[in-house]
Amino acid sequence: MAVPLPPASNLHAILLVTKSRSLGPRLVFHYPPLSPSAAALAAAKDPAWFRHETSTASVDSRSSDSDWDSSSDSDDENDIEIGSRTSNGRASGRTGAGASQRVSDKAKLGSGVWGKQETIDEEDADGSDGDGDGAGGGRGGRGGDHDWDTVLGFKTDALEKMLSPSREFNKRRFELGVESIVFVGAPMFVRDDGLWKKLRRKKKKKKKKKLEDGDLVKNLSIAEEDEPFIYPQGFEPGYGHDSISTPSAPSDAGSDAHDTNPDMTMFNVVFVLNPPALEYQQRVKEMYANVTRKYAKALKYEEARFQYVWKESKRIIDLKQRAKETNASLTATWRTIVSTSPLAKSIAIMFDAISHDKIAHIHFDATFNTSFQIPQADSTPYLPNALEPQMPGLWLTTSNVVLEDNDAPMTQHATLLLLEDAEVLIKHLGGDSTGNAAAIAFYIRSIIPTKSLLKISKTHNILAHDMEYIASHLVYWRRARLIAPLSPRDTYIVSPNADMTVLPAAITVYAQRFPTLPTLPKILSMLSGTPRPFRNFIPTAEHREAYMEILAWLMRGGWVTQLRTFAWVRVTPEIKAQVAAEMAREERIKKAEEAQRELLSETESNAESLLSNKRNSLLSLASIRTSSPLRRTRRDAEEDMEYSTILSPRLTASQYRGAAGARAASSDAGSTSSQRTTIALNTSQRAESPSHLGLRDARQHRPSPLHLKPTSPSRRSVVSTTSPLDTSPPPDPKDFTHSTVLSPQKASSLEARWLDKIAQTFEDGVVISTNPSPPKHADGAFSSGGITGKELRESWPMLLRHLDGKHAIEDVSAREGIKRKRVAILFNAVREKGWLVVTRHW
Amino acid sequence: MPTRAIQAIFYTRFHHEKGNRVLHQVPSGSITPSKLPSALPTPLFPFSSVTQYLIPTQQFCDRLLTFCVNHHRVIGYPVCIREGKYSRNEFIFNFAIVIGEDEEDWVCYGEVVRKLGRLLRGLEEQGGFLSREEEGVWEDEGSVNIGAGIDEGIGGFGVGGGSKVYALCEMVLEDLNNYAECMIPIDDSNTINLKLFPTRPPPPPILAHQVPLLTVCLSSLQQPISSDLTLNRVLPYINGVNSISHIAQLADTDLSLSRRAIQHLVYYGCVVLLDVFSFGAIYAPTAEIGGFIVDADVKEECMRYVSVPRMRLGSNAKTAVGSESSMERDERGSTSSSSSQHSATAASTLRTSEFDSHISQKDEEEESWQTDHETLITLYTSLRQGLTLKNWVLENLDLLAGIDVRRFITFGIIKGFLYRVHKYAIATSTALPPAPPTSLQTSAATSTSTTNMRDSDATTIRGNERVHHSSQTKMHHPSKHNVHAYANHPSFSLHRPSLASTTSVNQHQMTTNRHLKSQHLKAEDLHGFDSLDSNEARGSGLPLLRFLDGMHCFDEICTELGLPDKVIEAKVRGMGEGAGVVVHR
Repeated sequence: MAVPLPPASNLHAILLVTKSRSLGPRLVFHYPPLSPSAAALAAAKDPAWFRHETSTASVDSRSSDSDWDSSSDSDDENDIEIGSRTSNGRASGRTGAGASQRVSDKAKLGSGVWGKQETIDEEDADGSDGDGDGAGGGRGGRGGDHDWDTVLGFKTDALEKMLSPSREFNKRRFELGVESIVFVGAPMFVRDDGLWKKLRRKKKKKKKKKLEDGDLVKNLSIAEEDEPFIYPQGFEPGYGHDSISTPSAPSDAGSDAHDTNPDMTMFNVVFVLNPPALEYQQRVKEMYANVTRKYAKALKYEEARFQYVWKESKRIIDLKQRAKETNASLTATWRTIVSTSPLAKSIAIMFDAISHDKIAHIHFDATFNTSFQIPQADSTPYLPNALEPQMPGLWLTTSNVVLEDNDAPMTQHATLLLLEDAEVLIKHLGGDSTGNAAAIAFYIRSIIPTKSLLKISKTHNILAHDMEYIASHLVYWRRARLIAPLSPRDTYIVSPNADMTVLPAAITVYAQRFPTLPTLPKILSMLSGTPRPFRNFIPTAEHREAYMEILAWLMRGGWVTQLRTFAWVRVTPEIKAQVAAEMAREERIKKAEEAQRELLSETESNAESLLSNKRNSLLSLASIRTSSPLRRTRRDAEEDMEYSTILSPRLTASQYRGAAGARAASSDAGSTSSQRTTIALNTSQRAESPSHLGLRDARQHRPSPLHLKPTSPSRRSVVSTTSPLDTSPPPDPKDFTHSTVLSPQKASSLEARWLDKIAQTFEDGVVISTNPSPPKHADGAFSSGGITGKELRESWPMLLRHLDGKHAIEDVSAREGIKRKRVAILFNAVREKGWLVVTRHW
Repeated sequence: MPTRAIQAIFYTRFHHEKGNRVLHQVPSGSITPSKLPSALPTPLFPFSSVTQYLIPTQQFCDRLLTFCVNHHRVIGYPVCIREGKYSRNEFIFNFAIVIGEDEEDWVCYGEVVRKLGRLLRGLEEQGGFLSREEEGVWEDEGSVNIGAGIDEGIGGFGVGGGSKVYALCEMVLEDLNNYAECMIPIDDSNTINLKLFPTRPPPPPILAHQVPLLTVCLSSLQQPISSDLTLNRVLPYINGVNSISHIAQLADTDLSLSRRAIQHLVYYGCVVLLDVFSFGAIYAPTAEIGGFIVDADVKEECMRYVSVPRMRLGSNAKTAVGSESSMERDERGSTSSSSSQHSATAASTLRTSEFDSHISQKDEEEESWQTDHETLITLYTSLRQGLTLKNWVLENLDLLAGIDVRRFITFGIIKGFLYRVHKYAIATSTALPPAPPTSLQTSAATSTSTTNMRDSDATTIRGNERVHHSSQTKMHHPSKHNVHAYANHPSFSLHRPSLASTTSVNQHQMTTNRHLKSQHLKAEDLHGFDSLDSNEARGSGLPLLRFLDGMHCFDEICTELGLPDKVIEAKVRGMGEGAGVVVHR
């Protein structure tokens, strides 16, 4: 995965197409009523679908510059833009109309051979539409608002046929691209037994239809929430008998009295997108997986329950038909339809919400509500450079990056930052939740961004599981973000990704909210100097609460981000020299005992080596075995043996064979001879490359220039064994260089020995006093204190787990259950001894 | 990018009696079952279920139609030719390509299909290229079983070499898959040229204060890369130091045209955009610093890029030469490994060899000048928010031996593990003092002079001396021009070339007596600004004011107003009690 793309649904219309035995394929409803013409959309993108045109702003201003534009998306564009879209739709409507007569001719001629699904009814429908075309041509002077025959600039009859796929597409993704626009749908077909759902009682569909007047329709639409949709005969909403009398209705609409078969055989909700070429796959997939498919499934569920889709479709078709006869304007008719038909209304809501990248709350009936959205990234670890799509305002942090190792989930130690005020949120949720609203309100009120969820659930007696559920729910529905609990001891900086363009607006909002406190620019200015813990900015203890609130507000808006500390262990040449000397000594001991050890079976020692422990005393013979690296395979060891037999004539193969894998490993890592350094290099790669790759995957490396070049793991020289080692003891520190242990958890044998050696330097009994944060890395959070070398040595393995540059030191206390202060003392003690490479970023 | 992404190509045609028929398919059996021995065992997708998208109604003809079926994406361009000579007066065909459904960049295939469709339409209209071949085919089929038969008949025909259309399918498939392009002569006057052009993201807007840096050695190309005059004039000044507005002045080109020219370079990935380098700027690591620390290759690359050439160990004169050549290298633009592929052209080998010579020289004196990876890590991790580069240099003087600081920072920016902490100025109260009090100006002046003092301190740093000064002087040049440009005096713009020459003289002088001169230059700037300021104050108010909404970083303000950073900061801070604040982001 790459840098998250800015939210942009590129949605331009939603169409509902049904196929029924009586009417054939029908474009039942489309929204918005005056859709932008596909020709206009395509022309804007043709020939290359780049997004830097300026002339097309009226059609797709959102998609064309949302990536780069510095201003926030204009949310009110919808109403305004309809006006401009009108002209587009109209223009293309006319171009289409020129060929309309021919189209319908051809459709008639070809119908015998073309789609098998075309029935005689269809033919008739075509004919009537053809008449309509003629009339449409005559009405050419009228505005696009009266253009009943084209949708998206396509002839309706052609479009509805294109969007009625064959049965192979049942429950599959339907994706049809026409130039740069794409129709994404999830066609749902009726089962062969005439049901929409398995195991459902067969419901006889009544075919008799009768005209109902508008009032009745209204009554029914109100009543339908209570009734199970079994209307008294003759009172179904939907397609009326009077259609027969109208010239454009199918002649035999009422005659398809297949009692056992449902009329509608397929419906297809089609979302019309206009994604930019490079984002095509992702946008289409997101739309299909999150919205299209789920909505279609919900509709199918409703259809199975009470023929929701078909009944509503008939009603809409009827309304449209009548409006067309009276030649009403599209927008007025659509207003009526949307207010009358819940299905139409749900499509309208869906369009308005999704096209603005918001959440659509759809109310199907009294017992079935659901929401749809395309999930958005709520944070990113990557700061986009000048050439990449910008997402100003997006929270910049690595705290949400999932690391590859199976860390215990941090959810319990994190907290929720509500993105709206608790009361506002409760009001919203109360609107669409039912019974447990009070409980949810209680949960939400209890959430404060300075306490971890664990603490909150403890103090309020909330089950941890419930808490986690609520947290995930709120996060998914963009109500909250998971953050590390805000603390005055943590350091916060102005986020490099803060959206400065909304600053003027934010200043006023801020001023209303915190009228008596320093202004927003002041606060930001305060946070923009040398990074210091937040408490340094709080003037008095009484201000603490208010300042933490400000901090929460700033976090919410993405203005600030936490500066987190990451560290690696740096090994000095002295340590390396000491380890090398020890290993040389062991080598001698080992040679001396070669004879006895010859009998040891390879497998046994291998097994032992796998179980070995890194912490060892290094001097006893047994520990030589146990000190071998964890991740070395026997094959590696054998290869090493081969190399060494070639390269170092002093060691014979037999010696090695006796020594077995474990010892081979430890000795080779110790690089006893100068020639063997290259081999040590090899083994270290082998040991580390998997972890290296794992890191790659987990950290979601984007294709930044840093990673453009595929780095072959074979040339990594982490364990900088480049310096030649002489066999002549003692090894001189000058022959070694500093190096960094990248991942103590996956350290090679040599690295593990170095780390152990470092631990030994923490002398017993000596109290290491840590300075109160040297100014260079202003860590006031890590307050002063003393610690003995023994304690430090005992905590060293624990600390090492976090010294891989991926785990923030700020998280240690939560993860390990140690007091913050103690972590700070430990960390500072190690750092002041110069064992660490420390960097701070978000 | 030969990826062999095209799985099949087929030519389908609507026959007035027989309906939709696949006349040619490569490989055989990929669309409709075939009995040929080489045929695929099963078609890629059921043809019958998608015919309505291959041969659609007229509404959808002559458009690019794509659809997904059975995990394949079919890209077609149905063509409908209406002419009296055909039965039922129309001839409908589609020449379609099948690729994988998840092919990321399928748009380039779409463009190929579109071009092919249009070409074939032209060929058919000219001489019946497609319909001629069909004579007799349909009659043959009459006797054969419909369905499988047709493919056999045509396929056999095609394989026999008689069918040009079949050969076309075959060649397009093979050539596009293997070479991403093809050239197929059709007859004396027609040739089909196709090429898969990878889709590129739209370039971002280019701002005047950004600094372009070439990643490709454009000067080594045999021919000028473009007939765009602006581009050709601008190109020599792109060196990773000059901002675009400065480049426009140096090249004497229109700023907006220059920006557009740079945008073209950005679009083709020839240029990366950096910020204005100055020692007053703040840089801090991003989350990707971990990637740098882990990746030894990048560190190696970094060492090559940032180390100062060997010759610097010699006398001072030599030092100047050495850094000059390093600057020159910049101008030629080899920056990072990503460009190394491009520099494979013969002409660039010269550069490369020069570069190598530096390295080989370095090898000779390896011991004394060694900068190891750990030093790089230490240096990069010691950069942080709130620490100006100048102070950072002072802190790390001993480690910086042999490192070109500008390149050191630039490398981090290019690789994305450093970011520039930009400064923004925000006026907190709307009622601002109409014009700055004179005391403010003097304070600004004093502040700059102190700056100079401090700057001269900084110049004692051996390794960075040269870079430092070049950047400093370059920072001032645009200011000077901009002041005049901003004042809108036509006389000034007339004099611009001469001004440029004098400043370049200044530059030479400054190498001898640079502190004095630079101070002098700054004083000049200040002076110019004062007069300008009073002019502007009378007219549209303080020019600075419109930048104080927090949306404009200091680089931008400096470039627009032509003032040094310090002056602006002093002005903002001097706006009165709490009226103006500076935010680092």
